[in-house]
Amino acid sequence: MKNRLRWWSGLGIIFILLLGLVWACAPAPAEEPAPLAEGPSFPIEVTDQAGRVVRVDKMPEKIVSLAPSNTEIVYALGLEDRLVGVTEYCDYPEAAKEKPKIGGYSSVDVEKVVEIQPDLILAANIHKKEVIPRLEELGLTVLTLDPKTIDQVLEAINLAGRVTGKVEEASALTAEMEARIKAVTDKTETIPEAERPRVFYILWHDPLRTVSAESRIHELIIKAGGINIASDLEGGYPTISLEAVIMANPEVIIAGSGHGSGKDAPFQFAMTEPRLAEVEARKQGRVYEIDANLTSRPGPRIVDGLEQMAQFIHPELF
Amino acid sequence: MEIAAPTHLPQWRGRIYGIIGLIILLALVVVLAVSVGSVNIPFLTTSSILLSKVPLVGANPGWSGALETIILDIRLPRVILAGVVGAALATAGATYQGLFRNPLADPYLIGVAQGAALGAVIGFLLPTTWQGTGFGLIPLLAFAGALFSTAVVYNLARVGKTLPMTTLILAGVALGALLGSIVSYLIISSGEQMHGIIFWLMGSFSLSQWSEVRIVLPYVLVGAAVILLYARPLNIMQLDEEQAQQLGIDVERLKLILLAAATLITAAAVSFVGTIGFVGIITPHAVRLIWGADHRFLLPLSVLSGAIFLILADLLARTVLAPTEIPIGVITALCGAPFFLYLLRRRKKVIF
Repeated sequence: MKNRLRWWSGLGIIFILLLGLVWACAPAPAEEPAPLAEGPSFPIEVTDQAGRVVRVDKMPEKIVSLAPSNTEIVYALGLEDRLVGVTEYCDYPEAAKEKPKIGGYSSVDVEKVVEIQPDLILAANIHKKEVIPRLEELGLTVLTLDPKTIDQVLEAINLAGRVTGKVEEASALTAEMEARIKAVTDKTETIPEAERPRVFYILWHDPLRTVSAESRIHELIIKAGGINIASDLEGGYPTISLEAVIMANPEVIIAGSGHGSGKDAPFQFAMTEPRLAEVEARKQGRVYEIDANLTSRPGPRIVDGLEQMAQFIHPELF
Repeated sequence: MEIAAPTHLPQWRGRIYGIIGLIILLALVVVLAVSVGSVNIPFLTTSSILLSKVPLVGANPGWSGALETIILDIRLPRVILAGVVGAALATAGATYQGLFRNPLADPYLIGVAQGAALGAVIGFLLPTTWQGTGFGLIPLLAFAGALFSTAVVYNLARVGKTLPMTTLILAGVALGALLGSIVSYLIISSGEQMHGIIFWLMGSFSLSQWSEVRIVLPYVLVGAAVILLYARPLNIMQLDEEQAQQLGIDVERLKLILLAAATLITAAAVSFVGTIGFVGIITPHAVRLIWGADHRFLLPLSVLSGAIFLILADLLARTVLAPTEIPIGVITALCGAPFFLYLLRRRKKVIF
């Protein structure tokens, strides 16, 4: 009898101990989503948009942006005080022009970057082959933001938020962007194919370049309720012949503006090229100019680009 | 020369047949090039649209205005301009090769290309908003740059009243390198204009229009006519400058006239379409391989062959990856080089 009592009590103690163990362990996995809050969530390991695993040891205090779109994201997340280097092309917001320059977009001055000793560098697709390996050799932390779609622009913003301790700001920003995108697509989704205008987007006029289905701008056209006349072409930003444009007879022409010299040249071309005179868009006076930075930069303002495109393509809805 | 003529009769006949054959071929190539494009238009429609513009033949239009625009305002001026530019570059190439007695001479030997490139790049970088309308500043500056750089080379190379050809080549190469480095620097710092500049340098007919044909054609006609008139003196120049002088030719004057004419047509040709390579050096050689080195035939045959070659090259440039276009410079080198090497191996004889 005594033996049996001892056996039972032993089992009970083990059971209680096990319970305690489970209770003690349970909160541990529950703590994983903690990066949601700003604070001691570092070190953090993320997979960036180039598919590389990037480890950020501590909260970055000195951030360098290697692309205008990254600079816009940094500002939108309220990180401007920690931004210590931008490219010569970073012109938005206005204040970004005052930041120290680390070279051009394709031509990064690696020495300048090293001198700054940033603890986080936000790179882009163009830097994959040469700049990123070089910077990593030098012991710097590089995160690549390379959004190929609008969804991935949102992901890029969230990713940037995670490695800078701005998770909440990032999710608030992307939620707002998502809502604005949805406001557009809710109206355009139901438009039947026959009522979608054929759109010709001009990146540059000489040589005549446009956007194919592989580009983000194509996605903007579709989401804004249009049909891209060049969706089948090869490569993201193909050249297109004038005769192909005339045959496609676009109902809307949207020309992206550059900056500096020849800023409006693509738009001027679209408005004045005599051989486009008989194209529907010209006859209807539906040739528009859009700030190319809104459409081609994969940053927060891409939503502004979408809303403008929607106004151009469906003025009756927006 | 007159005494030797009878023995050369078969060769003469071959060359005259060559000229006639090439004229017919040119006409066929023009019609072919106009009827092929990224937009599929039936050959019959193309022909009737073309014929409708011939006085007295004019058929009633049973086609859309878009098709007419494509045939008459996009393809036809483009094909004609390609022909004119090809003819100009080939003629200039033949002239330079004859004048310098150097098989490596091409229309760009004495700085025309680099001068034009510098002018064009400056045109790209100047703050101007009216590039898009008409043809803007770029062709004008390219033309001026080409003439200016050749003038500089000419003056650098002149020794007293004579113009030693070797000095001219060296001066051309040196100035070309200098201008080329400036162009490279400007390209690197050109930012978003870079793409347009590089495309221009490789050459393209993608936006050719009638107004361009109207400007280029007169220069090429006059320049080529002048060169053709000097075909015989150019033959005599092949002997030796001294001998030519003794035979009563004003060698220095001849050099000046031919250099000026060849430079003028080259400058006019490249100013709108960019520095298209290879036509100017390869075409005269190909003609020489087939029909011999007599400039009285070499020059007109080069005019025709250059036109045909460049029209076909442009046809490939806009159809291979249609509706995406390839820079024509890529095509001329890609197709021209193997064909030329084939000719070279087939004849296996000294040609120059």
